[in-house]
Amino acid sequence: MEALQIILAGSLVAITCGLLGCYLILRKMAMVGDAISHAVLPGIVIAFLISGSRDSVIMLLGAGLIGIFTTFLIEFFHKRGRLQTDASIGVTFTWLFAIGVILISAYAGKVDLDQDCVLYGEIAYVPIDLWITKSGTILGPRVLYIASGVLVIILVFIVLGYKELFLTTFDPAYAAAIGISTTLWHYLLMGAVSITTVASFESVGAILVVALLIAPPATAYLLTEDLKKMMILSTLLGVLISITGYYLAAAFDGPIAGGMATMAGVFFALAFVFTTTAPRLKRSIKTEKG
Amino acid sequence: MGNRLIIGVLVIIFGCGTDQEKVRDSSKLNIVATTGMIGDAIANIVQDSAVVTSLMGPGVDPHLYKATQGDLQKLTSADVIFYNGLYLEGKMGEVLEKLGRVKPVIAIAEKVDANRLRKAEEYNDSYDPHIWFDVSLWQEAVQVASGELQKRDPDNAAFYAQNTQGFQAQLDSLHQWVKKEINVIPKSQRVLITAHDAFGYFGHAYDIEVKGLQGISTLSEYGLRDVANLVNYITDRKIKSVFLETSVSKKAINAVVQGCIDKGFEVSIGGNLYSDAMGPQNTPEGAYIGMVESNVRTIVDALK
Repeated sequence: MEALQIILAGSLVAITCGLLGCYLILRKMAMVGDAISHAVLPGIVIAFLISGSRDSVIMLLGAGLIGIFTTFLIEFFHKRGRLQTDASIGVTFTWLFAIGVILISAYAGKVDLDQDCVLYGEIAYVPIDLWITKSGTILGPRVLYIASGVLVIILVFIVLGYKELFLTTFDPAYAAAIGISTTLWHYLLMGAVSITTVASFESVGAILVVALLIAPPATAYLLTEDLKKMMILSTLLGVLISITGYYLAAAFDGPIAGGMATMAGVFFALAFVFTTTAPRLKRSIKTEKG
Repeated sequence: MGNRLIIGVLVIIFGCGTDQEKVRDSSKLNIVATTGMIGDAIANIVQDSAVVTSLMGPGVDPHLYKATQGDLQKLTSADVIFYNGLYLEGKMGEVLEKLGRVKPVIAIAEKVDANRLRKAEEYNDSYDPHIWFDVSLWQEAVQVASGELQKRDPDNAAFYAQNTQGFQAQLDSLHQWVKKEINVIPKSQRVLITAHDAFGYFGHAYDIEVKGLQGISTLSEYGLRDVANLVNYITDRKIKSVFLETSVSKKAINAVVQGCIDKGFEVSIGGNLYSDAMGPQNTPEGAYIGMVESNVRTIVDALK
């Protein structure tokens, strides 16, 4: 029962992250998830300084707003400053994180306030973190609702905007020529990434989200060159990682997020060995659809 | 057909999150505590009439603790859960608080007299969670735990009450002993310098000034000026020793020691203090009383 709930939560997050991760990898912005995980610190501190409370909802709000601001800054430096995206990501998140550290030292040194303490969740708590209504009805694990909700939002976003996202990712010049705003779709995608990552940090913890955002799409990228196939493959990989990772953690009585992130690495290594030692097989898979 | 299957699966998944496997000895109460200190207190109250498990082992920083797959099993199969609260367990505390609506979960530090808690001046819900360093305050927490246990397990209530009395007597004499020992240190030397701000209650209860380099959060890093101020303070007051903590890195304190040496004042490292976790099991420091005694001896030996 608990195993099923945890695996389901892991799978939901993995699928959402994997779908968005495909676009991030193709746009060379894979590290944006890691960047957001650090950059949310000032958001948490400011939210606390304003509200005086360390409640999850308030922390989420602060983190979410700063997350969107982070992706905005990254794009701004990239576009206006003609900075490479990786440099732009690096500058933005270290700067924001540093502001957070200074703010804590200056205003909140007497309060235990950091992402680990007030924002990052832990996937092991999924079965006991229940959503209970005021009247006392138990509606089941809260995280499953959040993760399903985010997945639905992201699915709708990708289905409705598939053509636009596809064109702005692969051929921005052509997209612009036929009247699709690359900037608008970039910000929409980044907004989706911020919402997903911040909500997932709160549900299952940061390391797991960063790993799931990159590893499954990167693995799928090795196996196929078709975007749709890549998204389907990373979805399958996400579910597989969730299942095997859980049982790896159970076997060693270790942290579940650690088990899942480890399996994400194992699958990537397998795909890597497979594609480099059997190039012919790879070509046949790749050319199947072309 | 398909719909019914999906609904069935959803009911299974979301439905009953708390069904427990009843394989263990059901006559005994199954109690889970977060920190070793709480586990020790409960074990002293219930003796062998209940099963007590602590999640966090020796040397673990409770602020950063990550639950394992096995911990989850322990939490879901527990009859009663005790935790410290006041954000000592970070996010885990929030989850436990919510779990309190479906099974008995008690935050013992949040049940003691709020007037005795140390508060960060400007903020409402921000108390210092390290209450176990004031033995008399910890006694209050033990009393809270004992009361809860007597309520949950009426059959053993008299036994628990009797054990609690015995344990409280031990703590009484421990409290007096610590007072007496700290008094041995000359007033001018009565300063406890550590890396992070965990000994506030200790200082308040036993009349020893406490200086921490870092704030309570491990992310609030010490500034260069903090180090310089502390170095000046140590050299001015000619403090003999500073202390390390078993669950916090010693880099920060080493910076202070080096700073003093550069100014030509030799300050020694007084030893390791147990702050957020107890010592290894089956050693004297692996129990609350032994841990406090060890800390006090280390402090007195280094400063007197």
